[in-house]
Amino acid sequence: MSNVIGIVNYGVAGNIHSVQKAIEKAGGKVKIVNTKEELLAVDKIILPGVGSFRDAMEELHNKELVESLKEVVQEKSILGICLGMQILTSLGFEYGKTAGLGFINAEVKPMLVDAKVPHLGFSSIEVIKSNAILKGLENEEFYFMHSYEVVNYTDIATLTSYANHKFVSSIHKDKVYGVQFHPEKSRDAGIRLFTNFIEL
Amino acid sequence: MRTRIIAKLDVKPPYVVKPVHFEGLRKVGIPAELAKKYYDQGADEVFYIDIVASLYQREILFDTIEETANELLIPFAVGGGVRSMENFSKLFHKGADKVVLNTYALQENPDLINEAARTFGNQAVVVNIEAKKWDNHYECYSDCGRIQSEKDVLAWVKEVEERGAGEILLQSVDKDGRQRGFDINLAKQVVDAVEIPVVVSSGAGTLEDIKELIEYAKPSGVAIASLLHYDKLTIEEIKKYLRNDGIEVSK
Repeated sequence: MSNVIGIVNYGVAGNIHSVQKAIEKAGGKVKIVNTKEELLAVDKIILPGVGSFRDAMEELHNKELVESLKEVVQEKSILGICLGMQILTSLGFEYGKTAGLGFINAEVKPMLVDAKVPHLGFSSIEVIKSNAILKGLENEEFYFMHSYEVVNYTDIATLTSYANHKFVSSIHKDKVYGVQFHPEKSRDAGIRLFTNFIEL
Repeated sequence: MRTRIIAKLDVKPPYVVKPVHFEGLRKVGIPAELAKKYYDQGADEVFYIDIVASLYQREILFDTIEETANELLIPFAVGGGVRSMENFSKLFHKGADKVVLNTYALQENPDLINEAARTFGNQAVVVNIEAKKWDNHYECYSDCGRIQSEKDVLAWVKEVEERGAGEILLQSVDKDGRQRGFDINLAKQVVDAVEIPVVVSSGAGTLEDIKELIEYAKPSGVAIASLLHYDKLTIEEIKKYLRNDGIEVSK
C-alpha cells in the first residue's frame, strides 16, 4: 500500500522543512503539495502552521485547495499542526474574521490568559479522549508556540495548562486530527506522534 | 509556568566563540557539535547569533545554520546581520524557527519588525537588546556592544512589542561573559514593561545566579552560554537544581 504524506505548502514562511525532516526521521515518505492534483495523489495530509489564520486561508483559496480538502476529508487522514489545527475550525479572529475549513465546530480566539503571550515552551498534555496518534504519548511534553487558541466544546482530545489557564491542545474527529503544539520541535515524543500518524 | 532553559551560541563562523563584555573572543567549538550536545543535555531551545555579520556588513552564513538546524528537534532561533524580508525567508528555509533582529531595526529601520511579524507571525520575530547601564537608565547598543543608539531600553522594548515582536532576548553589555551574575534589576524592569516573553542572558556564573534571576525577575527563559561552553555545568544539572528548589522547568 502506498503511504505518502503530503505536506500542504501554504503561506510564505511555513516551517515545512522542519516538518518534512521530522516525518522522514519517523520513517515517512513526504511529498510537498502545491496543487489540487498533488493533494488528490497523496495518502495522508499534513497542514503545517506558522503565520496568520487569514493569510493561510487566503493562500489555500488562491491555490484552489479549500474545496479539494473538503472533498478528501472523508477518505484521507488529515493532521493540522498549530495554525494548521486552527484552520480546521469554522472561524478565526486573527486580523478580522475569517472562515476556516469547518471540519471541527470551533472558533479560534486570542489566548485568554494572565501571563506572557505568545505561550512558548514545553508543556504536558492532559488526555480527555485519547486517539491513535497519541498512543504511548500521554505522559510526554510538547513544544508550544502560539498566541491564539481553539475554543470548542466537542472533539477535544487533550487540554494543556498555561499559567492558570486550560486550553485545548489537541482535537480529533473521524479522520481529522489537530495539535496546537509542534511535534517537529518536540524531541522524540514528536517523532513518535508522526510515526503514529504514518501508521494510521 | 515553566521557565525555558536555552543554550546560546555566539558564532564567529566557523566557530562558536565566547566574548567577554562582547569583546576578546575565544573559540569554544563548532556550532553544530555544541548545538547537538546541548540538545542531548535537554535544552528547551537553541539561540544562534552570528556576532560579526552586522559588524562586517555581510549576510549571515547560511550553511553553518543549516548544519546546526539539522541536529535539532527543538526550536532554533537565529540572528546576526538580518536586514530584509529575504533574510527572514532564507533563514526559515535553512531551518530557523525564529529570527533575531537587532542592529538594522534599532539603528536604521524599525518597520522591518512590523513587516516580518505581519508576514511570519509574531512568534517568529525576536528582538535582541544589548543593554548598557548609565547612571540611572539603560541604553540600547548594537554590534556586540560597540555602537550606541541613544535609545532607552524600556522605551525601545515597549516600541518593539507595539510593532509586533513576539519575544525579547535581553543581554547586558556590562555583564556578558563575566560569569558574575545577571543584572537582575534590568531583567525585572524589562519583564515588567512588556506583555511578551523575555529571555534573559548575560552573567550566569553559578546555579544560584540562575535561581535568583528566575525568582526575582520571572523571565520566560534564561539563555546560558559560558557556563555550558566551559563545561562548568550541563543543562541537566541546571534543570535538576531548579526543580529541587521548586522552580518549574520542562523534563
